[in-house]
Amino acid sequence: MVAAVGLQGAPYLSYVERKRRRRVNNWVIAACIAVVLGWCIWDTVMVDTDWARMGGALGIIGTLERFFWIDWGLVPSLIVPALETMMMATLGTLLGCVFSLPVAWFGAYNVTPNRYIFYPLGRFLMVLSRSIHEIIWALLFVGAVGLGALPGILAVAMRSVGFISKITAEAIENIDPKPVEAIRAVGGNQFQVMYYGILPQILPVVIGTIIFEWDINIRRSAIMGLVGAGGLGLIFFRQMAMFNYGGVTLVVLAVLVLIAIGEVISHYARKAVI
Amino acid sequence: MTAISADGHMPAPVRRWSRYKHPRSTIRFAVLIAVLAFLSWSIAFLNIDLYRIIGAFPRLWEILATRYFPPDIDYVLDDSFLHSVLRTIEMSLLGGFFGVVLAIPLAWMAARNITISRRIAYPLGRFAIMGSRSIHETIWTILFVTVLGFGMLAGTLALTVFCVGFAGKLFADELEAIDMGPVEALRSVGASNLQVFQYAVLPQIRVAFTGIAIYTWDVAFRAATVVGFFGGGGMGWYLKRTTQQLENTRVAAILLTIIVLVLLAELASGWLRHRIAKMR
Amino acid sequence: MRHERNFAEGREENGLPAERERPVPVLEVRNLKVSYSASGPQILKGIDFAVDGDDFCAVIGPSGAGKSTLIRCVNRLVEASDGDIILFGQDVRKLNGGELRRMRRRIGMIFQEFNLVNRMSVMDNVLSGRLGYTGAFRSLFKVFPREDIERALELLERVGLQDHVDKRADELSGGQRQRVGIARALMQKPEILLLDEPTSALDPKISRDVMRLIKELAREFRVPVLCNIHDVQLALETCNRIIGLQDGYKKFDGPAEGMRKQDLDEIYAMEVL
Repeated sequence: MVAAVGLQGAPYLSYVERKRRRRVNNWVIAACIAVVLGWCIWDTVMVDTDWARMGGALGIIGTLERFFWIDWGLVPSLIVPALETMMMATLGTLLGCVFSLPVAWFGAYNVTPNRYIFYPLGRFLMVLSRSIHEIIWALLFVGAVGLGALPGILAVAMRSVGFISKITAEAIENIDPKPVEAIRAVGGNQFQVMYYGILPQILPVVIGTIIFEWDINIRRSAIMGLVGAGGLGLIFFRQMAMFNYGGVTLVVLAVLVLIAIGEVISHYARKAVI
Repeated sequence: MTAISADGHMPAPVRRWSRYKHPRSTIRFAVLIAVLAFLSWSIAFLNIDLYRIIGAFPRLWEILATRYFPPDIDYVLDDSFLHSVLRTIEMSLLGGFFGVVLAIPLAWMAARNITISRRIAYPLGRFAIMGSRSIHETIWTILFVTVLGFGMLAGTLALTVFCVGFAGKLFADELEAIDMGPVEALRSVGASNLQVFQYAVLPQIRVAFTGIAIYTWDVAFRAATVVGFFGGGGMGWYLKRTTQQLENTRVAAILLTIIVLVLLAELASGWLRHRIAKMR
Repeated sequence: MRHERNFAEGREENGLPAERERPVPVLEVRNLKVSYSASGPQILKGIDFAVDGDDFCAVIGPSGAGKSTLIRCVNRLVEASDGDIILFGQDVRKLNGGELRRMRRRIGMIFQEFNLVNRMSVMDNVLSGRLGYTGAFRSLFKVFPREDIERALELLERVGLQDHVDKRADELSGGQRQRVGIARALMQKPEILLLDEPTSALDPKISRDVMRLIKELAREFRVPVLCNIHDVQLALETCNRIIGLQDGYKKFDGPAEGMRKQDLDEIYAMEVL
């Protein structure tokens, strides 16, 4: 049948062959992945977990149940830390912006003062800032300035620099040179060229990024307290220490509320900027 | 000021222009005042002063230079530490893989344009993703540790949940931006939801999804280095022990290891994403 | 007369005598040579010409002949490698930073792709023409003097955009954007206008309207024009003088009426469609 229609020609055969090869390929890849994952699971979870001590399914459910008895009485004492968390996020993001300016300037290929020294330096600082977890930044700053909100603000700031400066540098690298040319042709000085030619082009992206980062920083600020750097994290830590799981749930709910507020504000703010 | 037109009768139009446009400018001004007010209040409320901020960095540098230097490299070349590093990588792979796998159906539900049910699946998907994202990975770790005990099970699960949220949001955003043409075409042929997803949606987003998956692993690895600090297994546990016992040079060594590993992971993931983008 | 006053004001602002006593010619170019890099090809290989006070001078030629480069050398957006460019009696190539800026504000430029700041309003784009005369503090807060605002509104009316004053520049059509560019150039009270293919990005009918508008305004404000244009027909209709370039050399220089078919063929001889 097939032969009569001429479908046994070379194109058909090679198509079938290619499909077969691809299918085999996919199975091989899937098998490799399964092996790797299997080994990972064995080396981590299987070896390490003491199944007996976990108390079996009942024990787990019992622990979970304790989380549901929310300790509503804690609410008044959460207000100040919640406020502190929002303030830490806002000030931290602001400080992060300030630090991002020079880093973005160094890390933008077209405006960097020196392509062999400052450009790699700028790029390295961006990566460094993003690679060090905010908890580690917090630990370092608590060691340097003590406990309280300040190390939290500094940690959030240092963590934010990476992303904000990266996006800003990319925006600067992608500007349209034509308006810049026009302002130069009109007789503008360096500042006017930057302010009228470059800034309007990058501002929407940069401000959108700052708002986005502020939103993320709310969740980062919430845990700064786990290492002594202020905010709701401190309450979380204390409630855990007292095994008051109902209180822990309340704190988590408070964090969710803050993040919801942040989402709403950032949604409208980003729309206004575009 | 008003010019007279040629026939001398009617005055020419008076030209006036102002940069202040009500209500847009008023709203902008109000928002600016509100933000500045909040910032000032924050600075006062938290007792921040500029000198402490400026002073923090020299002090940090001083501490790093005196107490943290030189880093105790021998400590990190220890066998069990290196094994914990390996396990951290394994945890990140597991968390990344399962997180991404779970994120795909969730993202499908959370994508406004192709979700199977706008009234049930969409809010559910959105809620699940936002819920996972909103809670910091360290909080997840502590919660899982409380319920399941110390160790890598808790850590891996925490990473998984974190990845579900992280990848889920990126996937959902990507899905909402696809070209609906092929979707429409397949729906009109009478294909089921799953078939539409497999034949119309998946081919469009395959490259982007792979990139997001690799990026998610990269971020998961950074989180994995720290989950041990809160009881989730991996190298973070060593960090906790050394900071608690104020063995600063060892802390420095561990931090250096973390930085180096994260940089390597970033390079690897960047290179991989680059290769994949070029291949397609 | 208003236009005499504008011109005189422009000169006064730059500390020059107000009378219409301009050095003739306004622009004199001698042996201009340009290469973009020391070992690269020479774009312009020794151009001489002069522009008088009432000229509307077109530079035509095949692509790659160096027309755009020539225009940009006059206000030093491109640096010449050799030669003299004498504008208003001064050698443009010898000016330092501050002097160059002061010279540039006397030169109005209209670009092929309009070169507007897209996110800014039409009004702000036109006002930015006065940046050469605005101090740092005023630039930062975008506070322009009353007379600048009135002049901007007047110019916008003159180019027909009075109903679009507060729109963002990217909300306008191509022809409208070029008219904003024209208003911006005239805001400077320029003593010469440089046009770099002002109509290449516009469709034919709009192109004619725009060129007609520029010619009208140039005549009204008594400003000489040096224009780089690729549409020869449009050049012959609008301009009174033609300079023909080919492969970096000047092949024709004379009144528009004097251009014959042979001259055109010679200029465009090497252009392959």
